[in-house]
Amino acid sequence: MAEYTVKDKLSFLKAAAGSGRRLLAPSSKDGRVRLAEVTPDRVAFDYLNTHLSPKDAFFPQTEKMLAFHKDAAKPGAFVYQPLGLDKIQPTVVFGLRPCDARGLAVCDRVFQNDRFTDPYWKTKYEGAVKIGLACQAPGPNCFCTAVGGSPFGEDGLDVLAFTKGEGLGLKTLTPAGDEFLKGLSGLESGGAAGEMDGLKKAAESRLPGPLDLAKAQAAPVMEIYNQPHWKETADRCLNCGTCTFFCPTCHCFDIQDEENERGGVRMRNWDTCMSWLYTIHGSGHNPRPTKTERVRQRFMHKLKYIPLKQGGACGCVGCGRCVQHCPVNIDIRAVAVDMSK
Amino acid sequence: MHNPYLPYPVRIAMIRVETEDKNLRTFKFEFLNPGDEEKFAYLPGQFAELSVPGQGEIPIGIASSPTEKGSVLFTVNRVGQVSTFMHCMKEGDIMGLRGPLGHPYPLDTLKGKDILIIAGGFAVTTLRSTIVWMLQPENRPKYGKITFVYGARTPGLLLYKEEWSDWQKRDDIDVHVTVDREAPGWTGRVGFVPAITKEVCPPPKNTAAIICGPPVMIKFTQPVLEEAGYSTDDIIMSLENRMKCGLGICGRCNVGPEYVCKDGPVFTLTQLNQLPKEY
Repeated sequence: MAEYTVKDKLSFLKAAAGSGRRLLAPSSKDGRVRLAEVTPDRVAFDYLNTHLSPKDAFFPQTEKMLAFHKDAAKPGAFVYQPLGLDKIQPTVVFGLRPCDARGLAVCDRVFQNDRFTDPYWKTKYEGAVKIGLACQAPGPNCFCTAVGGSPFGEDGLDVLAFTKGEGLGLKTLTPAGDEFLKGLSGLESGGAAGEMDGLKKAAESRLPGPLDLAKAQAAPVMEIYNQPHWKETADRCLNCGTCTFFCPTCHCFDIQDEENERGGVRMRNWDTCMSWLYTIHGSGHNPRPTKTERVRQRFMHKLKYIPLKQGGACGCVGCGRCVQHCPVNIDIRAVAVDMSK
Repeated sequence: MHNPYLPYPVRIAMIRVETEDKNLRTFKFEFLNPGDEEKFAYLPGQFAELSVPGQGEIPIGIASSPTEKGSVLFTVNRVGQVSTFMHCMKEGDIMGLRGPLGHPYPLDTLKGKDILIIAGGFAVTTLRSTIVWMLQPENRPKYGKITFVYGARTPGLLLYKEEWSDWQKRDDIDVHVTVDREAPGWTGRVGFVPAITKEVCPPPKNTAAIICGPPVMIKFTQPVLEEAGYSTDDIIMSLENRMKCGLGICGRCNVGPEYVCKDGPVFTLTQLNQLPKEY
């Protein structure tokens, strides 16, 4: 794959925005950095990470999927038709942090699993060129290196960029990344990879060492499931769902229909396994009836079930958002340590 | 790109009230678009999302056998919003069918074996599909002796009476239908499913059991089979959990690392013994 440098970040972003693709990038609004459609001059560089994870760009918090009408005089009454799939715009996402890109890759293996492909995800995710921005100054809550990632990680990205003075160093990682950068003006070939190695080592040295997940991942499911520590963590947990809302790999959703006298839509909305409503049967039976089962489910999913199903890939990418925002200071790293005792 | 969220449009061709409490109705669907029936190619044990525009979807086991061409059959218990709405729909109404979903019973690995089928209450649906399929002249020689134990609380709560009455007359399937207590007009067996199973189950050598029923029935039938010497590999069950997508994506139906929708709903007892009882 190729490497490039650009002398000026803004001219690179202008070229990217002029490529015919919609530019999604971090920008500041109301004091918070979020991923949004922006003009190049509004793109933020001085952020640790976006406040919310970038999953909303590919898996919106609310998404209309199907629609139907009730007019018996017209053909197709009461028959659902797909919605929105023909309106997906080609996009370039700039400024994804490597942890979040890795989180999106975890989601991608769920939305495109061994049996089914989710077209609402696939068209958006694969329709986007994903340019990561390496973390040269990781934040106090960051722990990507604890769960197998790196501040210069490449998983889930088409291009990895790093700040180089007023400009950028760029390394392409996929044919899509190659193709995209080839078409942009103002790029100079070479001059990135060597510097990147040094910066990567420096950034990694500022982050924690790997968590020992080997025991938890090698043990049978029921051995970890029956450990005594779950109730202690659950005693503190409020089941508020903040962690699932912020998490870049939490992908659960609910499907709901809404209708009026003319027709209706079927939509999906982010959901949370922290809610008792999430699993309750029509009969009233609930397979995860108390907080303990629900808390255990979340951590087992991240640290045991996803690795089992995704060839060892950890379901936690170490972005630190859940640790930062949990109102009762539950720390997934501490839970991981308990699971490995 | 195939959109697995998009239901096939179907017409309700027939509605039949199945039980005396009127809580169960059987719906026969016909596909509106030619070609959709072929795309909806299923095997016994699979399920589908019954999709009512404006109301939502419910995952229901397919009660018909793929050998019954031209329509698909589901028996729906009235429980929540969608099923209640469906109980108020009429023949001729248009709705949707999404699937088939999940894995079927392991019909191939069951070949050459004696089959014990145990059903309780309205969980008999996918087992009706299995029996109809196995009794087809082209399929029947692939299996040994077939024993069917079916129980309900009262005679009025037994589904598919005409069909199992016909099966009782055949000599290539042993049918044991039972109700919990004596009832006026009932001349068949009386007793709980575990007790009847103990009495009639074939020797475990080269026999596989498929069990579907309420948790209490499974709880007491499982030890009967284990005592009789059945291996946990040969005890096959079908799970139910709350579902939305049916595709292993939306998250909620997991039992440990397995999604009931995508990886199940059919599991052997060996598999279930290694998973949390979150169902």
